[in-house]
Amino acid sequence: MAFDAQLAMTDSIAKITLTGSLDASSAPRFKEVIEQAAVQSPSRLVLLMKDLEFLASAGLRVLIFAKQKMGAKVDIYVVGSQGPVLGTLEMSGFHHSVYIQDTYADA
Amino acid sequence: MKPICLPATLDSLDEIGKYVVAATTEAGLDTKAAYGMRLAVDEIATNIITHGYEEAGRSGEINLSGVLSDSSLTMVLEDTGIPFDPRSQAAPDEDDLCLPLEERSIGGLGIFLVLKGVDDFSYEYAEGRNRNILVAKRQSVANS
Repeated sequence: MAFDAQLAMTDSIAKITLTGSLDASSAPRFKEVIEQAAVQSPSRLVLLMKDLEFLASAGLRVLIFAKQKMGAKVDIYVVGSQGPVLGTLEMSGFHHSVYIQDTYADA
Repeated sequence: MKPICLPATLDSLDEIGKYVVAATTEAGLDTKAAYGMRLAVDEIATNIITHGYEEAGRSGEINLSGVLSDSSLTMVLEDTGIPFDPRSQAAPDEDDLCLPLEERSIGGLGIFLVLKGVDDFSYEYAEGRNRNILVAKRQSVANS
């Protein structure tokens, strides 16, 4: 499935819905959306990843970029991630730094 | 499986992924092993394209083949980019993996996922060609 990233700002919360395959060919699009969110100085970043079917290191690097761009005080929520994609996040230690949840109240 | 030859550009990653999915399906790998192989091949192909070709100002192709035996699935990537051993990149260690994201280095995650994703990985350079070889044991053998 082709990659897509859709940003929605609600109050000061940036929600990005990710679908498809996130690897080096699609990571620039994800990074572009992160930058669009960052200029609005969100208080929280929520990544809706239920339909993200593939996640390579290029996507993980954009998550690191997001944290470094937005600042340590902006919490990142990963919502709906499952199976091997969730396994990749945990194996890479990202669960130490982001909140991983099955659902998000306003999702 | 019949080998494929693709331009060494990031646009080829999708086609490479489809080839790996077909190979892992034919091999009967379980979901975790199949995904691990797809991820590992994607990471190696990305390395070849970016380090072996683009950053070196070269263009060329990647050859990808899948060989199925009774005990394993072997995927081989060959290219004529500059000699590049992915194992030369330092993978993050346990301490690195526990660092907050704002303190994490962006390097080494790719080879880390390669080594985690397959049962065996090797690299060789011969006659002007890089060869990256990834092996996944088939389920019946892995469980025995």
